[in-house]
Amino acid sequence: MAIITISRGSKSGGQEMAKCLAAQLQYPIVGREIVQEAASRLKVSEEALSHQMEHTPKLWDRHAATRRLYVAAVQAALAEYVTEGDLVYHGLAGQLLLRGLPAVLRVRLIAPRERRVRTLIEEHQMNEASAEEFIQHVDGARARWVKMMYGENIEDPALYDVVVNLETMSVAGASAALATMAKRPDFAVTGEVRACLRAFRLASNVRVALARARETRPHNLDVLVEGGVVEISGSVPVLKTGRMGDRISEVARSVPGVEEVRMKLQWYDPYP
Amino acid sequence: MPIITISRGTLSGGQAVAECLAAKLEYPCVGREIVQEAARKLGVSEETLSGKFETPPGRWDRLTHERRLYLHAVQAALADQCVAGELVYHGLAGQLLLRGLPGVLRVRLIAPLDMRVRALADAHHRMSPKAAEEFIESMDEDRRRWVRLMYGADVEDPSLYDLTINLQSISTETACAGIAEAVAQPQYQITDEVRAKLEAFAAQCHEQLQVATSQRS
Repeated sequence: MAIITISRGSKSGGQEMAKCLAAQLQYPIVGREIVQEAASRLKVSEEALSHQMEHTPKLWDRHAATRRLYVAAVQAALAEYVTEGDLVYHGLAGQLLLRGLPAVLRVRLIAPRERRVRTLIEEHQMNEASAEEFIQHVDGARARWVKMMYGENIEDPALYDVVVNLETMSVAGASAALATMAKRPDFAVTGEVRACLRAFRLASNVRVALARARETRPHNLDVLVEGGVVEISGSVPVLKTGRMGDRISEVARSVPGVEEVRMKLQWYDPYP
Repeated sequence: MPIITISRGTLSGGQAVAECLAAKLEYPCVGREIVQEAARKLGVSEETLSGKFETPPGRWDRLTHERRLYLHAVQAALADQCVAGELVYHGLAGQLLLRGLPGVLRVRLIAPLDMRVRALADAHHRMSPKAAEEFIESMDEDRRRWVRLMYGADVEDPSLYDLTINLQSISTETACAGIAEAVAQPQYQITDEVRAKLEAFAAQCHEQLQVATSQRS
């Protein structure tokens, strides 16, 4: 009983590992589908959404609010899957989208560059130089995205519970070791854990609503759910209309399942 | 029946994992004893050997002949233990001393600094958290420099290991269970071919040690 996130560079054998692990544990498996689901919920194309998820802005980020919305939507789509506890997720940034949640086994896979290049050449009849370039490009884009969104180095082993080196370990072997760990009490999905996962789903839905509504959209608001109470924090400008706090609270209350909203906003004067 | 090397920073909880694993697999568990054994064979004190072997030289110091001799002595002592094919080694640089050998599962254990600081402050009641932090950071830095000097590698690079396990949220028992499962895989079994390679490695280590010893005198 655990939620397993698998992070890896492109062509490192992540998909194969995810499948093997899901089959062994009889867990559902989810990858890119959550991006499709998030896109259809927002009624945008999957390409538009994954572009914002995977690319970092060159200079000044004009799309910060859109990006926030897209990430919130992907997180909310993932939150739907994790509420029951058993899951293998091998899409982007699982270790960060589910940060702080209990019962999550965060795995990182690494594999030597030459082997990844060879896989790409074999699968797509690419020449070596373009395969090399492709992998470097994809790795670089993901690393920059994680740096920008979370301020973390994607390769830092401290972000994960286990780093598996597929240079020496076989997929079957690594999968057996990970399954053994996932079944241990450390990752048990207890009633308490389930309550946490449900709170996470609610917080994710509130985040989407706030990132979507016209008036609240520009503000970077943080949402926390504890014991059924939604707590919203962040800094918000004091406007002449004086109704921003009410509006935030209204948007949050419109989300099904929200009963009580508590504000912890910091106000600032936009025209000092 | 393989060999497991466990690399970790001071007070990361690595020794507990090594002991748990050795008990579970019924393997001998070896750490500093390797250095004692090497010192005994060279006829020097353990302090002399570990002083030269474990502490990195000053920034401008070179890799001296003596340092090389001690390295060979430690490697030979470890190789002798490996010939039997069943071992949990949690001493210095197992992943490098046994580099390239088959039948070896190389594990790195990490833990957040604040957890290690707490462990050290708890073990030594008179140590302040600040002093504990400084101590751990200086030990880590020594280890990093040592590995860089001896092997040109970064001790924290996950590609040096088969498995890196973060003890922040993984318990000793869970880490131990996962490692035991990994090592049960066919690729780590000590076949006759692997045993022959381990024996050849031990013989080669002793040869190098002999050459280094004869150059000393």
